Amino acid sequence: MYETEIRHLSGELLESGDVEGIVGYAPGPLPLSAQPFLFRTSSELQNLIFNSFCGMNLARYLVALPKSAGRVAIVAKGCDARAITVLLKERQVEREKLFIIGVPCLGMLDRKRLSARFGELREGDIEFRGEKLIVRGEPVALLEFLDWTCARCRYPRPPLFDVLVGEGTREPLTGGTDGLLRLWELSAEKRWEFFSLELSRCIRCYACRNACPMCYCRECFVELQRPLFAHPAPSLKDNLVFHLGRAMHLGGRCVECGACERACPLGIPVALLTCALSEVVREHFAFEAGVSLEAEPPLLVYREDDPDAFIR
Amino acid sequence: MNGEWEPKIVAFLCYWCSYAGADLAGVSRIQYPPNIRVIRVPCSGSVNPLYILKALREGADGVLVSGCHPGDCHYLSGNYFARRKFFLLHELLRFLGLEGRVHFSWVSASEGGRFAQVVQEVTEAVRRLGPQKAFSEEIDTYVRDGNSSSIG
Repeated sequence: MYETEIRHLSGELLESGDVEGIVGYAPGPLPLSAQPFLFRTSSELQNLIFNSFCGMNLARYLVALPKSAGRVAIVAKGCDARAITVLLKERQVEREKLFIIGVPCLGMLDRKRLSARFGELREGDIEFRGEKLIVRGEPVALLEFLDWTCARCRYPRPPLFDVLVGEGTREPLTGGTDGLLRLWELSAEKRWEFFSLELSRCIRCYACRNACPMCYCRECFVELQRPLFAHPAPSLKDNLVFHLGRAMHLGGRCVECGACERACPLGIPVALLTCALSEVVREHFAFEAGVSLEAEPPLLVYREDDPDAFIR
Repeated sequence: MNGEWEPKIVAFLCYWCSYAGADLAGVSRIQYPPNIRVIRVPCSGSVNPLYILKALREGADGVLVSGCHPGDCHYLSGNYFARRKFFLLHELLRFLGLEGRVHFSWVSASEGGRFAQVVQEVTEAVRRLGPQKAFSEEIDTYVRDGNSSSIG
């Protein structure tokens, strides 16, 4: 998908000296996986890939670049571009030092669900065709293997870019059952049963936080010793403080990329919490993170008629 | 002591309104349940959601955050920002199925009676839910491992 075009463009950028490197994806250590890579020379570009297993949010690696680094280009699908927009708003990256290669995204596929059904797969075995997926010639519903964050994605096309590769811009999918909405339909007791089970499994490796482009605090509240908000040893109560605290920090900032959830070694659906808040912000404060460079962050402004039914 | 269980409620009261309201309830000798532990804060806007989570984690059965009525903030807009912030926290707790532990109210310095009434209502609401276990009960992480349920 668009690999040739991205490579060609990246080669031109590197050779002209316009950028020092390309933040993109290289093949990962496993089949159907990818890893972030900083491409510094044109010869490395043969390794640049873009497919439906490039689930980590590359904006994460922009904040990790040293301050002395020069201008870089970044391969950005919809959610990466939204994350970059939030980082620009929060002045964590400089626009002048960034060249955004926008890539329309078809959604990320769940490697585990695919291999459970089809066994060992390789890249060539999978083909996108509209709302269908052709796996080794067998057509299956795309929604069945798409990550749930991607199934409900509203911005497959990057809202911010310097150049957009590929002419096909996928429309947001419809007809999928939104995992979030399905949870809201359950009773409060059922939801708590679900979340207490899921969050008690958390081993607090902080992979979710480390994968998150918005979690760039040098010192995270969960690792503070004084005051101690959560004990480092995993237990449900401390896990709750971590996940709720993180979700609150991401209120109105989460771009719903799902990178945290893909990073979780235990497969806990951690993105549910932050996405639920994004949904609340969208509904009540009419704001979506990373869609516009002008809109004011929702927690930095207020209206006199904000929701107040929850206050006595 | 082996008395009957009584809810423990941590109350974050803003200095300019709700704390003064509580004071007024006191000097007016208005009775209200002795279940709250008051922490005075400069403004409801200065209450970090982490304080609330921390209070629950340390075993509070409920939390009350109270500030000035909209428009009456001593710092002009602190309570408006607080309202947005706590609306998110309220919705997040509701999403997890933990509604009813964390309460918010506006109580002005002249509303001693209202303060007593709010404390009465909050205490009753928390009492109905029983002891708070979500944050306080030690649940072994590894015992539950492997029981992942998935949403798709």
